[in-house]
Formats: sequence, structure tokens, C-alpha cells
Amino acid sequence: MATNPSPSLIALSATALALPGITSADAPPTQSTISYKFSNYAEDDLSRSEAPFGDLERYDIDVHQFQFITPIDSSFSLHIDANYESLTGASPWFTSKGVNGDPIVNLSGASGIRDRRSEFSIGTKYYLFNGSVGGNIGYSEEDDYRSSYFGLTGERHFNNEMTTVSLGFSYSSDAIFPTDAEVFNRVISEDKRSTSAIISVSQIISQVSSFQIALGLTEQSGFLSDPYKLKDIRPDNRTQIALTNSYRHFFINANAAWHVNYRYYHDDFGISSHTFDMRWYQNLRQSIQLVPSVRFYSQSAASFFTNVDNFVKPADEYQSSDHRLSAFGAFSGGLSFVANLGSWTATLTAERYVSNDSYSAYKVSQPSTALVRYNRISVGLDYTF
Amino acid sequence: MNLSLKRFSFQAMGSYCEIQIYNESRINAKRIIRKLASEVRRLEQKYSRYRSDSLVAEINHSAGNKLGIKIDTETKALFDHALNCFEQSKGLFDITTGILNRIWDFQSPQVPKQAEIDRLLPLIGFQKLSWRKSRLIMPANMEIDFGGIVKEYAADAAAKLARRLEVQHGLVNLGGDFAVIGAQPKNQPWSVGVADPNKPDNMMAKIELLDGGLASSGDYERSFVHAGKRYSHILNPKTGWPCTGLRAVSVAANLCTVAGSLATIAMLKDEKAGLDWIRESGLSAVAMTSDGRIEGNRLKNVKSEALE
Repeated sequence: MATNPSPSLIALSATALALPGITSADAPPTQSTISYKFSNYAEDDLSRSEAPFGDLERYDIDVHQFQFITPIDSSFSLHIDANYESLTGASPWFTSKGVNGDPIVNLSGASGIRDRRSEFSIGTKYYLFNGSVGGNIGYSEEDDYRSSYFGLTGERHFNNEMTTVSLGFSYSSDAIFPTDAEVFNRVISEDKRSTSAIISVSQIISQVSSFQIALGLTEQSGFLSDPYKLKDIRPDNRTQIALTNSYRHFFINANAAWHVNYRYYHDDFGISSHTFDMRWYQNLRQSIQLVPSVRFYSQSAASFFTNVDNFVKPADEYQSSDHRLSAFGAFSGGLSFVANLGSWTATLTAERYVSNDSYSAYKVSQPSTALVRYNRISVGLDYTF
Repeated sequence: MNLSLKRFSFQAMGSYCEIQIYNESRINAKRIIRKLASEVRRLEQKYSRYRSDSLVAEINHSAGNKLGIKIDTETKALFDHALNCFEQSKGLFDITTGILNRIWDFQSPQVPKQAEIDRLLPLIGFQKLSWRKSRLIMPANMEIDFGGIVKEYAADAAAKLARRLEVQHGLVNLGGDFAVIGAQPKNQPWSVGVADPNKPDNMMAKIELLDGGLASSGDYERSFVHAGKRYSHILNPKTGWPCTGLRAVSVAANLCTVAGSLATIAMLKDEKAGLDWIRESGLSAVAMTSDGRIEGNRLKNVKSEALE
């Protein structure tokens, strides 16, 4: 425009740009949504050669997730989340050497584990002209674990909404009080704290592509060991850093979107990892979407990982046979089917995950025998009104 | 890239509507157009003054209720824009004016009696609406009408949705209110004709749009001449009588909603004040004065930049 816009034009533009149909994606919801999702996560049982004694059945978890999102005012929204999980099965208790010298896994007690976890969180977001600020608080409880947490987020758009910078901070305080502590000589009660900060920058590159980079830092302190393992001694502090890169591209001809993410992670337990995943969102007909996905993960072992528990080592030396601290790699593949039917959206997802020490891109000096393979299926239903 | 143009016309908001989209796939274009048309219909259903099941009917039905009525986010944003129009026009653009349509019937050339107008004037005034958090409290017998805002908003909302669906070249025309999504391929402007209020089949001007919105306000169709005097359907909320300034105004702005608000305010003002108003806005605009003179500026390759 050749001349400067008049104050009236600027004023009228401000309220027009705030209209929900005109503002960009980051607008307060104009409708309420109720969602329910059921997922089943079932680890494959161990084979007899891996665990010669006791239970072979590992975790089987049912998860029920409820979510309610509603606008409360022109610039505020409210988010309520409630989750309920029930878990049965067994987890590795200790590892030992088998007759031929190979490590074998000993799963926790014959009756296995039965646990329930309930979580409730409430959050709000306040939408500003050029961004938003939000916060949430939550609480979760299990038979042997309690966690309280809060988080704060802020987001600002620049450059005609082409660039978005987000900041986040969260803190959680957890209490651990293992069951049957006296019988098994476990710790009675411990606690841990976790503080995280994240910064991310998203950039719209063109009408069909965007890129995001995020850096996150987490500091954990307190009791970080697994109280259920016969011998598990880990440091009291852990610093984690993660760098995530995401690229999205929409293919007009194919009417599909491609999302690709790469994440690098490192912590001072000595674990480094690479995660690479891809998703293809194929729109089939007006209301149907098919989403195949693949993921590859590889990590190095923690410096104190051992695949055979050493019961003679002094109690002040770190050691853990937790398979999640071993060097391993994992492949997973999944398929989602999404159907939109008016106010309803139905989602069906199936995923297969396989981890193995031989998949690791890192050197594996001590392979873990407890690595998991699992199937996850979930069914979700959203209703918008 | 081999782009082809897909056009679709339909009836909504009491007007002839048309959507044009360039896309590589005609099937895809059709799918997108269907989504845009359903967004327009959603807004029509929600804000129509003529439908008894619309939200506007429900809001008007709440007049006199001391507890008021809960207003959703989108409608609140429309009220905020309406308040802004009311303030910027010093009370001339008022969404409570619609009640005067009870006595002004533009289908039949009949001038109401002053006494009838005086009886309705106390029921007009945006400042009489009050809010308790997200609840609107409206005095008994008052009415609101988003007619001067919603069609333009629907054009912008459809254009925005098109952008979200990756459309790069498109046009939404809702009864003469336009929102364009970029230029036509090869950066060719969209050539939009502005109808002549005297002879609606003729053009009084042509505006070339590269991006943004264009809205018109004027004595098109709904006006009459009685005893040698012209009566416009655009009513002054302060006097209850039709405004007597410009005959028609078209404005191009970053958004159709903004263009529509500016054009309507120009119509409500006296002729000279109306012309000054659009000139001060710095926007591309064309107007017809009461004696049929056409005044316009910068009608070629109009690209309205987004305002921060």
C-alpha cells in the first residue's frame, strides 16, 4: 500500500484477524471435544531358553485415556485429561548365568505383578494476538508410585506467522514406596525430582513444507534405581539432552503428507541414542486417512550396565541389568486408519515393535537377554460438539 | 505443473456464491471446494437472521432474560469485531439496527411514519448490550443481526481453509464479497467486476486482485424510489432513516471482513465524509456518489498486505 494505513483500518484489522475462521492454526478451540482411546500393549512372552525358571509372561497393559477440551471464553481453553492403566505380568527381577554361561532372565515372582495407575491433569491455554501461554498441573498414582507435576508453555509467532518460537518448562516430584518392601528387602520409601526445559523453533518453508528443531534438557535427581530388581544401583543424578528435528511435506498430487523426524539423545549415564521415524498420511477419500509409519531406534549402553548381576560387587558401585540401559536397537512399524464421520472421528492403530541387541548401531559388549517385543493396538473415538 | 481451474457455484447466505480453485487434480479440487462450501453453509446456518434454528435467533430470543445467554468463542469474536466497527464509525455501524427492517420493507416502496420509527429507536444501540463473563445480556425486545459482517467473514474463513488445504490459487465469491487465495497462476490478477447500482448487470469498475479481499456495499437491488426520493436499505441507527450519502462503495483490503466493514461505514457516512473515510484508509477503492459520479483509486494489481 502506498500510504500508511489509517488507525481505523488497523483497528478493524485487529478484530477481524482475531476471528477464529481467519486466525491461524494456533487458535482457541471453538468447539468442545471429548475423546476416548483404548490401547492394549502386550509384550511377547519370553522363551524357555531365555528364562528357564518361573513365569514367562511379561507385561500386558490396558490403557484407557479420556480427554476433554473446551473453550471457556474467547481467549481461554481448558484441557482435562484422565488416564487409567491396568497392568499384569512380570518384569525382569535379576539376571544370572545359565549352565552354558549365557545370561538368563529371572522374572519377578510367580504370581507376577498386578498394578493400576490413575492419572489426572488439568491445563489451560490463554491465546494472545501473536501467540499463547499455557500451564498444566497433574497427579498420578499407582500402588507404589505417586507423581505430582506442573508445566508452563509459551509460544510466539513472528514473521507473519511463518516462524514460531516455543518455550516450555516442567517439574515433577515423585514418591516411590515399593510393595512387599520388607519381605524382599527393598527400599521402603524414596523420592525423585525431574526438571525439564525445552525450546523449539518452527519455520514454514513453503506452502507445502515446514521444519522444526527442538532442544530439550532434563535434570533428574533422587532415587533413580529400580527398587524391584534384586541388585540395581544407579547414580542419584541424571542429565539428559535431546535434539529433535522434524520435517513435513505435503504432496499435492498424491494428496498426502510426509512427516520425518530425527532425534539425538545423550545422558550422563553414558547412553546415546538415535531415533529416526517416518509417517505417511495418505488421504484416501474425503473422510478417510491411512497412516503407515516406521521407526528405527538405536542406543548405546549405560556405563554401568551388566547383563549378569554381580552380587559380590560392593553396594556403592553402580550396576544395573535393566534391559533399557543396554545397547540395543529396535524397529517398529505401524498402521493407523482414521475415519471422519461428521462430528465423530474414529482411529484404529496397530503397531509391532521388536528390539534386539544385533540391531544396535553401537558396539554391544554385553547383550541384554530381556529385550522386549510387543504389539500395541488402540481404538479411539472423538466427538466434537 | 499442469493446473486446471475448477469452478463451483451454489446458493448460500441469500446470494449467488462461487468458488474457483486451481489444482493439479480435479478430484482434489472438487473435494476442497466441497469443504469450503460446507464452511460457508455452517456459518450461514449459525448466523442467519432468517432461520429460526440459528444461533442468532436463539440470541434474539434471549433478549430480556436477566441471566443472558452463553456465547461461544467464535460468536464472541464477531461481537468484538462489531464493537470495533461501532466505535470506529462513532455509532453508525450498529448490529442492533436490524430491528428497523420490521417497518422498512424494501420490497414495496412504502415510507414508514415517523411515530413508528420513534417507537423502535430506543431498541437500537450496541452500547445497551452488556456482558457478564461469556454471557451476553440483551435488553428486552432488542435484536442483533450479523448481516453486515458474516458474509465477509465466511469468505475469509473459506479462503483461510483453502490455504490450510494447500490451495495456492483460488477465489471465493459470496454474493459480491470476495476473498482470493493468491493470484491466478503466472501471477495474473483476478479481475473482479463491481456492479453499477443503477444497472446491476453493468460494471461500474473493474478491480484487479492479487491477494486479499474485496467487499461492496451499496444500493444494489434492495432500495426504492418514492415520490422522487431514493431510499437505500442501509439504515442510520441514530435516525432510523436510510442513509443518504454514497450510492455504492467497494473496498479491497487484506481481508474481506475488513473491506466490508470499511465499505459499510463509508456508506453510512455523509457523502463527503464517506469519500474521505475511504481515502484516509489508503486502500484501493471505488465509489459512486449520489449524482452518479464514479471515484476510484488504484484499481490495478491490488495486493493487500496483511497488517500486523
